[in-house]
Amino acid sequence: MTGYILRRLLSVMVTFFVVSVIIFLMMHSIPGGPFDGGDMPVPEAVRQKLNAQYGLDQPLYVQYGRYMWGVLQFDFGVPFQSPGETVLELLGRAWVPSLVLGGLGVLIGVPLGILLGMAAALKRNSWIDYLASTVATLGLTIPVFVTSMLLILVFSVWLGWLPSSGWGEPERWILPIAAYATIPMATYARYMRSAMLDTLNKPFVTVLRAKGLSERQIVFQHVMRNSSIPLVTVFLPMFIGTATGSIFVEAMFRVPGLGSYFVSSIRTRDYPLEMALMLMLTVMFCLAYLISDILYAWLNPRIRHGGKQE
Amino acid sequence: MTAEPNVAPAAAVLAKPAKRQRGPLWFAWRRFLANRAAVVGGSVLGIITLMAIFAPWITPAGPTAQAFLTDALAFPSAQHWMGVDDLGRDFFTRIVYGARVSLTIGFSAALFSVVIGIPLGAAAGFFGGRTDWVIMRVIEIFSVVPPLLAAMLLGALTGGGFWMIVAIAALFGWVQVCLLVRAQIKAFKEKEFVRAAQALGASPAYVIRVHLIPNSVSPIIIGFVLAIPLAMMLEASLSFLGVGVPPPTPSWGQMINNGMNFMYFYWHLAVFPTVALAVTVLATSLFGDGLRDALDPTMKAR
Repeated sequence: MTGYILRRLLSVMVTFFVVSVIIFLMMHSIPGGPFDGGDMPVPEAVRQKLNAQYGLDQPLYVQYGRYMWGVLQFDFGVPFQSPGETVLELLGRAWVPSLVLGGLGVLIGVPLGILLGMAAALKRNSWIDYLASTVATLGLTIPVFVTSMLLILVFSVWLGWLPSSGWGEPERWILPIAAYATIPMATYARYMRSAMLDTLNKPFVTVLRAKGLSERQIVFQHVMRNSSIPLVTVFLPMFIGTATGSIFVEAMFRVPGLGSYFVSSIRTRDYPLEMALMLMLTVMFCLAYLISDILYAWLNPRIRHGGKQE
Repeated sequence: MTAEPNVAPAAAVLAKPAKRQRGPLWFAWRRFLANRAAVVGGSVLGIITLMAIFAPWITPAGPTAQAFLTDALAFPSAQHWMGVDDLGRDFFTRIVYGARVSLTIGFSAALFSVVIGIPLGAAAGFFGGRTDWVIMRVIEIFSVVPPLLAAMLLGALTGGGFWMIVAIAALFGWVQVCLLVRAQIKAFKEKEFVRAAQALGASPAYVIRVHLIPNSVSPIIIGFVLAIPLAMMLEASLSFLGVGVPPPTPSWGQMINNGMNFMYFYWHLAVFPTVALAVTVLATSLFGDGLRDALDPTMKAR
């Protein structure tokens, strides 16, 4: 098990390195530099001096090395759009709304999705099964900003019950949380349903029934446990979907979180912020990847005991 | 077997079912027709495609013509079915031409995904070993980087544009096709007929082209159809953020973004592109899911 974790850790680190190089190269592939000056032309000698001062005259691999050395000490530089603070401070501030809204969305969406999927599998071809399929298909196919738009149109514009944007009073949280919750709910409803159906059709369930266990015991003690592996594997795509969705949810509901800073950093070409956000997201995804791999191995004895993973 | 007139009745009985023998595609078609959601999705997609193709004949003006400036922001009426937008363009026209953009991007991106995915998947599945390792590590990188974020970054760096969006969508779409083809080829390369071809001296390229790719048609079709809604979603999302297809090209994502500014007063600017995008993506996904279930032989058991 330890060897397995170490192997996965190594592979994740290699992946992170490759991704960071690619992002860095992409950032630096744009023609032009910060001191080329369109509005305020700078004399050639001054420009060279400035470039040297910021290390921009160095070869790319040296710049990459310096940047990553800074990153290892949590120095991401200063964002262009608010020079009064460091990128780290800005990120520390922007975390809060994203974490609160996204976290609540996941906390509400995952149990709802699991319950919906379970109910659908146990009562196959009933109305709740159709409801679960509809929710799963809609949630997984329609982009989040479309869902958000529909929520705003119905609850703010048409019914006028809830405010459509902002951050502050809890009533402003309801719609963004609902928009966030659609992705985990849809993902878990779909996978829980198919995992339960798979397990319910296994011979051992028939044996349990033949032995006279109650349906409740079968479902909660045996089927649930055996249906939980796909729920762990699907955590990663769900997490990525939610994190990516935050960009659109925050843009739609005008929430000052990480997602909206991501959009504004792209629109204003705020490279230090953009680079930091991309790196941070990559680390988050790598960690989620690692955790889901380890959990999967832990739940699946064939991998835990050093079997070959395919 | 040649059927002679005076054979025993038993042979005649044997010959009869041969006549009724159906190919796997016939069964797939039957399974597809039995899936009501998929048939509805396919029909809706067909109607939208027809509207997109015949757009100039069913709309009152060109997609960028500001023909109704005096009626700007007018609500839906008999004359303007979906109203007029803020720049005096007939909104129904914009929506229909938006379907053109969305579908073209969806289909071309899916096509390029297949073109990239097939050779890589075939190489990984057939040669295995080091080739497989390298390709799988590349795919691993793609699975860690969330496509939408990377696409946003690429869109912002390159400034977007129609073909750039297609390229970006294909860049993230080939992974799925590659994995599907790889799995299929891995399953088939040990079969007797492939062994026989190799024993007769067939080169790897020949075996892949003549024996393995034709046996991977189902996963290729599945990969192709499932890549379409993803590309359409990508285009809409990028255009929504302003790094996708630049105006004045009509794109639903762009229109939704614009409609946000007007939604409390001129609701039609927000409602119609939202509904159009939702319906199209949903129809395409349902159609693709139906095709996958119909073509995937493992579904037969259920």
